[in-house]
Amino acid sequence: MTDLLAARAQMGTSLAFHIIFSVLGVGLPLLLCVAEGFALRNKDAVLMALTRRWTKAFAVLFAIGAVSGTVISFELGLLWPTYTKYSGAIIGIPFALEGFAFFLEAIFLGLYLYGWNRLTPRVHWLCSFPVWISGAASAWFIVSANSWMNTPTGFEIHNGQVTNINPFQAMLNPSTPYETTHMILACYVVTGFAVAAVYAVAMLRGKRGEYYRRGLLLGMAMGAIAIPLQIFSGDLNARFLVDAQPAKLAAMEGVIHTERGAPLRIGGLVDPTTGEVKYALEIPNGLSILAKGDPNATIKGLDSMPRDDWPNVALVHPSFDGMVGSGFYMLFIGLVFWVVYFWRKRVVPENRVLLWGVVLTGPLSFLALELGWMVTELGRQPWVIYNFLRTKDAVTTAPGLNYSFLGFSALYVVLAVTLIILLLRLAREPLPKMEWSEVNQEQMSEAEEKGGEK
Amino acid sequence: MILTYTVLGVLWLALIAYAALGGADFGGGIWDLLATGPLAERQRRLVGQALGPVWETNHVWLIFLIVGLFVAFPLAFSVLSTALFLPFTLALIGIVLRGSAFTFRAYAAQAVGTRKVWGRVFSSASTITPFLLGTCAAAVASGEIHVVGGSVQTLIWTGWTTPFALTIGAVALALCATLAAIYLTIEARAINDTELTEAFRLRAIVAGAITAVLGALGILLSPFEAPLLWNGMLAHAIPVVILTMLVGLGAAASLLRRRYRLARVLVVIETGCFFAAWGVSQLPYLIPPHVTVENSVSPAITLEEFLICVAAGMILLLPSLWFLFHVFKGRNPVPLIEEK
Repeated sequence: MTDLLAARAQMGTSLAFHIIFSVLGVGLPLLLCVAEGFALRNKDAVLMALTRRWTKAFAVLFAIGAVSGTVISFELGLLWPTYTKYSGAIIGIPFALEGFAFFLEAIFLGLYLYGWNRLTPRVHWLCSFPVWISGAASAWFIVSANSWMNTPTGFEIHNGQVTNINPFQAMLNPSTPYETTHMILACYVVTGFAVAAVYAVAMLRGKRGEYYRRGLLLGMAMGAIAIPLQIFSGDLNARFLVDAQPAKLAAMEGVIHTERGAPLRIGGLVDPTTGEVKYALEIPNGLSILAKGDPNATIKGLDSMPRDDWPNVALVHPSFDGMVGSGFYMLFIGLVFWVVYFWRKRVVPENRVLLWGVVLTGPLSFLALELGWMVTELGRQPWVIYNFLRTKDAVTTAPGLNYSFLGFSALYVVLAVTLIILLLRLAREPLPKMEWSEVNQEQMSEAEEKGGEK
Repeated sequence: MILTYTVLGVLWLALIAYAALGGADFGGGIWDLLATGPLAERQRRLVGQALGPVWETNHVWLIFLIVGLFVAFPLAFSVLSTALFLPFTLALIGIVLRGSAFTFRAYAAQAVGTRKVWGRVFSSASTITPFLLGTCAAAVASGEIHVVGGSVQTLIWTGWTTPFALTIGAVALALCATLAAIYLTIEARAINDTELTEAFRLRAIVAGAITAVLGALGILLSPFEAPLLWNGMLAHAIPVVILTMLVGLGAAASLLRRRYRLARVLVVIETGCFFAAWGVSQLPYLIPPHVTVENSVSPAITLEEFLICVAAGMILLLPSLWFLFHVFKGRNPVPLIEEK
């Protein structure tokens, strides 16, 4: 591999790995907060048992998220020293603010995880608030920095020198409201459907009982509330790109030639040399309507831009369609699930087909998340800072990038395998007796155990 | 000027916080590795209980430091990342393994095999990482990182594999072990385990003595291997160096007299003085001999806004930190509810 490709591969792998834990780090604490709140109010043993089980899973997930996030903060410099040299003064501040948000999240998580027996139940529950609030805040800060790479503002360049820097303006660049909303909602979508999928699997394997039904309901509630908002936010994002990043939009929609009354192409293989999109389902004038609200509007194609500035359309278009398709699938399942639930007068559906449908939302929500980042990141290429700095000019001169990439990839594989084994083992642990006193007792012995090797 | 040095001071304080808190967590891992004999399992357990609630928070100081450098001295961040690519990458892998292994071990519950393997990974990574970070610091201090015409002129082994760097790596290791042993003495006393208290007291004294000897060796090597640092120290850091030694002696004395809380305060001050001495000796360089504080600093507006953010952040952070340490580490830590 060339150094550039190795560096991009390492950065991409690190981000793809880290994002899984960061979305759960934002989404799960909100679920914990809700579940524990209701458990305390109603002295609900089932909800408390769920809360405690989730807490254990979250503890492991958060730790992996924390260390994999550290990798990324170092990689900014290790892989892209030219990028950091120019951008630090402009866009470093949201990273610093994210640091504070992460501080608060780690502090209150420490209290939450290890404080069951030291804090009163109410104080313990209150500790979950700073965790989910600062989780969402850190997502906002870090994504605002990514937004800046897409629509860089807050500086000027005169004779090759960066001047007139305005960091707050850079943080509040035009993409920020769109991207941050989309990412924070994504956290709730993924967490909701992932949790629902876990309990749907359990029910398909014959597990029955309030514990599984409540787990499924809570997950489906979070996912089904977030997904329509997410699709709406996605639409706003795409329309924003029409003017902000026409190359990205063209790559997403597979538009090579500038067209009036452009069709919406769903799926298909894009051939960038001929400009053809084979095997696509075309909705006439669809794209012009969606993007500009006018069936005859003109959509800029990639051919209106220099060939050097094209993103990899053969990857971006299918990634985009995969994300949108997964999103609509989740919307559909969420809708069916809740309609059936209320139709049957609040009985949790146990239909096997529907449960299988719910199971599928779990992996698809993660897929949509990863594909969405592929669209954002690959769609910005060949730029690292859109229209200012090319990725190839930002890469490090340090040797051995191939080995570095291989090393980190191997590390992630080991961590992922161990994590999966641990989580499966956790899921198989016998449930406590669903009585308030029993459930409360459970944690007492565990807190003692957590010390380490016995 | 004032603005620049205020920001630098903030970052240096973060470095000291990371050394005194995160360093002690690494030190816990070192004692886990060195635990032998009949007390071994109790030692490991104490280390695990001490780290559990706080290690993630302590780790964030490193992230704060990295992003602070990125904001305020982007050139320095860029040069360091290029020149020290290999040791940083290795340290990073160590950081990842340390954190994940600690958590895997803690949550492996009944799986004894998993627990043993990850316990070893935890303790080895805790030992290798501070050593590597120490060699990186020495590479900076030695003035081996040359930047000519905007590009870094070092080979992959430059700076961090010299005798001086290896000595400083060992100093970092010994310092982490000392900090951890002193904190663990207090943790052991809090659970009324006299045997462990005495064991860690002895370890603290030994590790402290090793730190002092290695530190002296580092100073002796510096005229040859880090001349800029040596001259800077002679010119304007002698008082801080003497202060570091005196506070260190004070910490040793209070350990001997079993005044553990005093020893903890003193060893933190000693760590602070140690890093202050390094910083002051190096001025006006950030990465000698080419990157100075002045030629790598961000424009004033970035520094101003950064300080505003830091001030706002601290308003939330400091009380939260206090609460965390009050609950788990205070003079009267909040007791377990069943004991109330």
